[in-house]
Amino acid sequence: MRWVAVAVAGLVLVAACGPSGGTSQSGGTPKAGGTATIALESELRTLDPLDSSLLVEREVFYNMYDSLFTIDPSLKITPGLVKSWDVSDPLNLKFTLQSGVKYQDGTAFNAQSVKDNIQRYLTASTSRRKSDLASVSSVEVVDDTHVIFHLKKPDATLLATLVDRAGMMLSMAAVQKGGQNFSLAPVGAGSGPFEFVEWQRNDHLTLKKNPNYWKPGLPYLDGVTYRAIPDVNAILAALKTGDIDIARTIAPKDVAGIKSDSSFIYRDTPAIGFNGFELNTGAPPFNDPAKRQAVALATDRYEILKNINFNIGVVGYGPIPPSSWAFDSTEKIYDHADAAKAKATATGFTFTYKTTSDPINQQLAALLQSELAAAGITMNIQTEEFATYVQECANHQFQACNVNWSGRLDPDGNTYAWWHTKGDFNDSLYSNAQVDAWLEDARVSTDQNKRKQDYLNAQKQIVADAPYVFTVFGVSAQISSNKIHGFTLYPDLMIRMAAVWKG
Amino acid sequence: MTTYVLRRLVLMVPVAFLVTIGVFMLIHLTPGDPALILLGEDRSPQAIAAIHQQLGLDKPLYVQYLIWLGHIVHGDLGRSITTHQPVTTAIGERLPATLELGAVALIWSLLVAIPLGTIAAVRRGSLADHLATGLAVGGVSIPNFFIGIVLIFFLSVTLRLFPFGGYVPFNQDPFENLRHVILPAIALGTAGAAINMRFTRSSMIEVLNQDYIRTARAKGAPWRRVVFIHALKNALIPVVTIVGLQIGGIIEGAVVTETVFTWPGVGRLAVESIFNRDYTVVQGIVLLAAFSYLIANLLVDLVYGWLDPRISFT
Amino acid sequence: MSTAPALVATQASIRQTRIHLLELARGHPRVILAGSLVLLLFLIALLAPFISPHDPIAVNADNAYLPPLSPSHLLGTDELGRDLFSRVLWGARVSLPVAFVAVAVGLVAGGVIGLISGYFGGVFDLLLMRLIDALLAFPALILAIAIVAALGPDLRNAMIAIGIVAIPVYARLVRALVLQLKQMEFIAATRSLGATPTSIILRHLIPNLLNPVIVQVSLSAGFAILAEATLSFLGLGAQVPTPDWGQMINTGATFLANDPWLAIVPGAAISVTVFSFNLLGDSLRDALDPRLRS
Repeated sequence: MRWVAVAVAGLVLVAACGPSGGTSQSGGTPKAGGTATIALESELRTLDPLDSSLLVEREVFYNMYDSLFTIDPSLKITPGLVKSWDVSDPLNLKFTLQSGVKYQDGTAFNAQSVKDNIQRYLTASTSRRKSDLASVSSVEVVDDTHVIFHLKKPDATLLATLVDRAGMMLSMAAVQKGGQNFSLAPVGAGSGPFEFVEWQRNDHLTLKKNPNYWKPGLPYLDGVTYRAIPDVNAILAALKTGDIDIARTIAPKDVAGIKSDSSFIYRDTPAIGFNGFELNTGAPPFNDPAKRQAVALATDRYEILKNINFNIGVVGYGPIPPSSWAFDSTEKIYDHADAAKAKATATGFTFTYKTTSDPINQQLAALLQSELAAAGITMNIQTEEFATYVQECANHQFQACNVNWSGRLDPDGNTYAWWHTKGDFNDSLYSNAQVDAWLEDARVSTDQNKRKQDYLNAQKQIVADAPYVFTVFGVSAQISSNKIHGFTLYPDLMIRMAAVWKG
Repeated sequence: MTTYVLRRLVLMVPVAFLVTIGVFMLIHLTPGDPALILLGEDRSPQAIAAIHQQLGLDKPLYVQYLIWLGHIVHGDLGRSITTHQPVTTAIGERLPATLELGAVALIWSLLVAIPLGTIAAVRRGSLADHLATGLAVGGVSIPNFFIGIVLIFFLSVTLRLFPFGGYVPFNQDPFENLRHVILPAIALGTAGAAINMRFTRSSMIEVLNQDYIRTARAKGAPWRRVVFIHALKNALIPVVTIVGLQIGGIIEGAVVTETVFTWPGVGRLAVESIFNRDYTVVQGIVLLAAFSYLIANLLVDLVYGWLDPRISFT
Repeated sequence: MSTAPALVATQASIRQTRIHLLELARGHPRVILAGSLVLLLFLIALLAPFISPHDPIAVNADNAYLPPLSPSHLLGTDELGRDLFSRVLWGARVSLPVAFVAVAVGLVAGGVIGLISGYFGGVFDLLLMRLIDALLAFPALILAIAIVAALGPDLRNAMIAIGIVAIPVYARLVRALVLQLKQMEFIAATRSLGATPTSIILRHLIPNLLNPVIVQVSLSAGFAILAEATLSFLGLGAQVPTPDWGQMINTGATFLANDPWLAIVPGAAISVTVFSFNLLGDSLRDALDPRLRS
């Protein structure tokens, strides 16, 4: 089932690529009207940020709902529904809200609404936002346009968290009106550029222009239609037949062809996730650090980048990608594969590598197998059905597991969960007291330079200890017909449609 | 007749019961945790525990089974684990697409099968017969996903005659609807065409050997008339049987084709639900498929008896 | 994965006088043709290590995507530079054993159920046939997918799953044949002479079942190869880097636009193999069935 690995939970090996991003200024003056069809790599499950866990859901949300904060293409936090903020007191964050914003159902966005939304995310039994907002103790309404977030402890990552689903503001009236079916039909619930029309599951999801959008002149398009196409080849074919106008993912092998085809526009920018495979430090053979390092040394990242990713993207050395302010450009201890050095470190052992049946993952596995064989390491490949594989990796029942990470805006999201002793994604059972201390300090510290130093330290240690072998950093791409203009490319893979127009 | 139908219906009860146990045990004993699938990159021990509790997965398996059985006896298939929709809605949304695909595939298979099968039978031993028989064996030998891939490559990607996958509801755009259904229907119906042709041929051969056909010929009735009016009508009786069974198996048959063509039908839903460990939806679909299989079998037997008076129900 | 070959096969009628297959083949060129094709496939499977020009799993990434008829690569190379011709030849070594183990599972389990059910009748029959009905009512492909998902995707489990799916076919076929045979005079006579059930089953029933069962085995072998390819296509069959045809189509489909042969070559291999088995079963049935003999 080739799409499953791509489909679930944004554990995506996104088509990777070389930097060339930014805003597209092609096509002259924006004009209003027309609609665009966008491909999603999998079907959505919910339209409510409360219980969402898929990348494709976030993509739709960004065009329907507004968040308290937004980012710019360099990942800097910028105003959203919060116009300005004062975080000088790390336990009491003061936010000033945009005034005059209305939800699509006509109810007003105000301080009370912020409080109600955060309250809902923190208390609803089906909420998946509780851990995002774990540091929030309460929200105080000062007046209509001022709120104070009272925190239990300082949280340097909170603003970035409020860019995503935990910061998306919904009309409580619409939520109540929707009742049990709200997550399937959130009519009028957002304040974003487009509003919900209908969701014909497994076929299409239609949004129409929000005529009262609070940003003047936007959006340009009359509507947006999403189509779930769970196969990168089908996405490409649909682009070519004109069935869709915009896509985010095509197979790496097809990028060159699309780039040279003048009826399409291809753009990409470094993404925020990482790709590779985790090694279980809690069980043989990888409880021996030398064996982990041998695998990291014998892995040929350039060959993977070339043969699997068709040189789209860059080789990866650590968890924090080039798009981030905490990227460590000096970190290259496993730069080029070195079979001799790997052999000298550890050789002659056997391990099993778990992956899914996705063809790209399968090719990667076969390639890795042959690379490691050169260093005398025997890698057995075990292909598993997706749900089984997820469970076994999460429950530490593996020696090596091919898991990618779609990435988070703040470096904390690419490190803490994975390599803090108590991290939720610490499948590798990695534990290092110093790394824990750095990651904890970076969470509460408000000084960006101090945070950066923490992440540089932690990265060096993690890469050296090799509980995870990093291979390639991918790209965030947008592929569209040449009639689509006005894109701004963001590293977080989300396609924001407010300023997009059709020529 | 009534007693026969009643007896058959009574015998269905233990069969349906066995199916409920089978599907429940099979899907629940499969490794994998729906909570992990639901949470994806948002997983945490607390969130997993909350979902288990919410779905009742923390209860012993037999308790979960009995709860489910209690619900289905009252016609309630529960709600989908992944989308929270009622399972009946989830299946109901997909059923029209599957039925349409199945119907067009069936029409395609009969359009091929009946003429070819008849010609092969009438000209038995001729080159046409050998060709048709060879085609029939070939038709069931090519994997339908492979037919699908080849059709997509040549007719959709290369020649752009047909759209690549997807579905447009008939009431939205009848023309587009037909354009989308043709390729998957050909991929799906080819094996059926081969089987139906074999049946038409062998049944026709048998009928042509019957006394009444010989008599009709001996009396000087025109050959075409004999073949197409007298013989074909009777020869199609076993074809009706096999077609009936094919209709009963529509959901299953479409699984792979729907996957290849991203056709939003029940078959694809079944596969996705197995992969996502959406227990309630898998259980619902299997029950529906089993039920339609059993009913189709009963109906086929009844129709057969009605068409062929030599069979009596006791 | 269609249940159709089974339905076709049940038409095969029993003949009291046994026909030796070899004898029969003499008058039927189609049987000879199909038999030779199947034999050839077995030879390929057997000799693959000796006749393959390359190692089927040796990765040579610099040599990827060579088109067919390239020097030293008759059918070209795949996305990792592996020789496609060698992989296709080795694929026979995967498909044929899978088919036979799966059919054996179905035949043994289904045959025993059918014999017991048909010979002893009564409660046995009633209970066993409900079990078979339930198995039949269970959509076959969904059953196979679920079984493989439950046991873990690999070839052994694919064989088990396909074997289980094949059980009802044999159970019903054998039961129907046994019921017919039981009514025949020679069986009744043997029984009245005091023969034990075991000896009747072994000496008189099983030998008379052979011909129709052989026809069915040939048809189910084709079905099993298709089923295995389908499971592998869905990612539930052979493990990489095993040169498995279904798996090769699954990966090859990714490259359809530029390098279509990566999917078409293994697709053709499956089709030819299944065709050979179906042709053998089909021609044997025709040869054994007096009504259809031309």
